[in-house]
Amino acid sequence: MRLELGSFPVRLIAFGDATRWSDGHLTVNKAAALAEIRRDPRIASADLQIAAPGDSVRIWPVRDVIEPRIKVEGAGHCYPGICGRDIATVGQGRTHRLAGMGVVEVSSVNWHDSGGDFVETYLDMSGPFAEMYPYHRLQLLCAVVEPDPALSDESRNDAVHKAALAVSDHVARATAALPPPEREVFELTPCDPALPHVVYIWGVHSPQAMSGSLTAFCTATYGLTQLTPPWILHPNEIIDGALTGPYRTAFAMSWTVANNPLFLDLYRRHGRDWNFLGVIVLRTEWTTQHEKQMIANQTAKTAKMLGAQGAVVTWDAGGNEFIEVVRTIRECERLGIRTVFLTSEDDATDGAPTMLEPLPEADAIVSTSFFKNVTLQVANPGSVSRVIGLDRKAIHRGSGVGLHGGADAMPPTAGALPPPWRYDDHYGFGSLSCIE
Amino acid sequence: MISAIYSFAMTTGANRVVRGARIEHVCGDPGLGPEKDYAYGMRIVKKALEAITVPVSGPTLFDPHEGEAVHAS
Repeated sequence: MRLELGSFPVRLIAFGDATRWSDGHLTVNKAAALAEIRRDPRIASADLQIAAPGDSVRIWPVRDVIEPRIKVEGAGHCYPGICGRDIATVGQGRTHRLAGMGVVEVSSVNWHDSGGDFVETYLDMSGPFAEMYPYHRLQLLCAVVEPDPALSDESRNDAVHKAALAVSDHVARATAALPPPEREVFELTPCDPALPHVVYIWGVHSPQAMSGSLTAFCTATYGLTQLTPPWILHPNEIIDGALTGPYRTAFAMSWTVANNPLFLDLYRRHGRDWNFLGVIVLRTEWTTQHEKQMIANQTAKTAKMLGAQGAVVTWDAGGNEFIEVVRTIRECERLGIRTVFLTSEDDATDGAPTMLEPLPEADAIVSTSFFKNVTLQVANPGSVSRVIGLDRKAIHRGSGVGLHGGADAMPPTAGALPPPWRYDDHYGFGSLSCIE
Repeated sequence: MISAIYSFAMTTGANRVVRGARIEHVCGDPGLGPEKDYAYGMRIVKKALEAITVPVSGPTLFDPHEGEAVHAS
């Protein structure tokens, strides 16, 4: 399976008469892009706005950031399966991406109303808080969208993400007939059998247990978010967006999944430092001990059957999902697969361990820092001169001083705000990245 | 402690651990319907009450499913 990835760098976005890319400048025909959103009758209102690095701007609420990618040769569509898109297996041919930009999905729609999950991410484009996230370096095209409020949770979620993907497709299509300025070929070529065989076990949260829904929104595999047995994905499928979706933490939104530095480094060093076998997607938040242990057993077995001698493990959640993740590590080690675990840490309140269930088998751990902004003592971001999205920021209990502290509030979005309660660098975008 | 992740609960210092249902509904199972859900919840709670009458010397599991051929979860 061979995939060529053509990159079109974006250094500036502006609105203009036609949507086109030229020498790093992306011009967007706003009316044409909005017409594509409004083709879906579920959309009640839609607008597009631009945010650039250094702007005094705050974007709220942010459900997703998408890197525009389009399949120009080979089967299927990028970001397959989600919102009813084509489910043809992707990963071959040629894909174009608009590098250095993101389409931001801005909407008041929550994931579901069963409790426990709520949209909390906002992004600034300047200041110390902005610099904590990779997005502050991107040119951002924000799709501010509200669907018909009478629709169901799932329908509103589907409509809003479909709208953001419509914008992403619209701008990516501008590159379809152009020669890419940068090209990179991705292929799992045969390599020296003496190299260590390495698999990437990529834990992704499922909202099923909390939402009670099989289709609630989250990072999806070919559109599915439900609790499923481990998936084996060719790394080219990841590059074509087979793993994608809006997410509740900033570091596992579509853009960060597509640009996961750990994944890309594993792939780029295939054939030189190791034999990269592929990705096992481990769906997490199973709800009984039996299920958690069973899925750990099965994930380790799958890695063993692939021939893995080593496994790199990440996850994108917090709390009980840790059980199946750390037990997967234990079962891998018991089968002779050496593991490295990339994770954030909880605080050590009352002397508790910084990891929920520390197991002796998990003895090679790379920490990406504490995951709570309150532990990290992140200062409240100050006021900004422009807001994209909603004028008021909903603050749920816990946003200010930990999960169960503080009071609900609705302050102006443009003023000083507490940071989201969670800061969780799942894939090593920060200074502790996998790049040597 | 009543816990759905009972073997983990036994590592946290709890001396008496009662096996619960699922993380999102530890003392019952709404999927069973109101009557069976209530009966299942009562079974777990009674096991918990029984547990506090039993002397233990360290972390001990009390399983409301004890004696069943097939585990409910």
